[in-house]
Amino acid sequence: MKTPGDALECGHSLAELSAYLDTGEIADPAHLDSCPECQAGLASLRRLSELGNELLTADVAEAGSGGDDWMQTILDNLRLELRPGRSIPLRAEDPQDTLWETEGSVSALIRSVADSFPGTAAGKCRLLGDITEPGAGITVDVEIAVVYGHAMEERAAALRNELAKMLQVQTELDIQAINITVTDVLELPAPAMTPNTEDQP
Amino acid sequence: MTEHVEAKSATLADELLGVVQAVEGVSAVYPAQPLWQSVAGAAVAAVTGEQLPLISLTEQDGTLAIKARIGVGSPLPAPKVAREAAAAIRRHLGNVPAVVEVLVAKIEA
Repeated sequence: MKTPGDALECGHSLAELSAYLDTGEIADPAHLDSCPECQAGLASLRRLSELGNELLTADVAEAGSGGDDWMQTILDNLRLELRPGRSIPLRAEDPQDTLWETEGSVSALIRSVADSFPGTAAGKCRLLGDITEPGAGITVDVEIAVVYGHAMEERAAALRNELAKMLQVQTELDIQAINITVTDVLELPAPAMTPNTEDQP
Repeated sequence: MTEHVEAKSATLADELLGVVQAVEGVSAVYPAQPLWQSVAGAAVAAVTGEQLPLISLTEQDGTLAIKARIGVGSPLPAPKVAREAAAAIRRHLGNVPAVVEVLVAKIEA
């Protein structure tokens, strides 16, 4: 059932965007060209789909953390973070100008950087602090799911460095800390067991 | 607003659209006032199929208010691109009193 919580601000839902990726059909295709939130949603769904394919290729879809809880968690967060959110002020050269970045644009950027790491999918991406106040200290919280086999500490450190560089270039936020939490490890399946005839009656 | 002024305003909005699109780093210009936030605009669009201008223009007490919502897709920093878009709008307007608002709605890595 479609609930208000499922819909983005433009009225479309992740389910509709997912169906569009599968079928190429949506009620108002022209809308997709004019909606940055739908575009960010489609990009995230494509990357999630690629990770899903990677898992299927590795035959781990039914292993490790089991069903698709991790993917559902990611989709739940995606639904929240595709909204424009708060407006982040930027310095203007003319005092009569007001320049902003949307919180959603920065969250989508963080998500795309995290998703660009092999075997990694971003879950929750949050900007904590008063991002509407220039110079306020901001903490970035990012949760990721990682396919088993990737060194988690190295992955987290590399992601933290990449995010720090990217946020310094693409925003004017005063980033105090970037916290990376690995919330899911998508494990490889255990090797198939050879039947042990000695234990059998 | 008279028909003449509306036509002039639409022309200026189109000109400013070209100005903003020409700024290095601007990858997209989105409707400044999303249709779902404008009941009247949505109704008109639904009936006529016409799209509202991507650049929003209003005038109050002789001062133009311009609003642009952009996507940024280049190695150039998004804040710099936003400033350059505002500056390009001002250059195009010359000495016309104006307040310019630029909103970055999408940043491509």
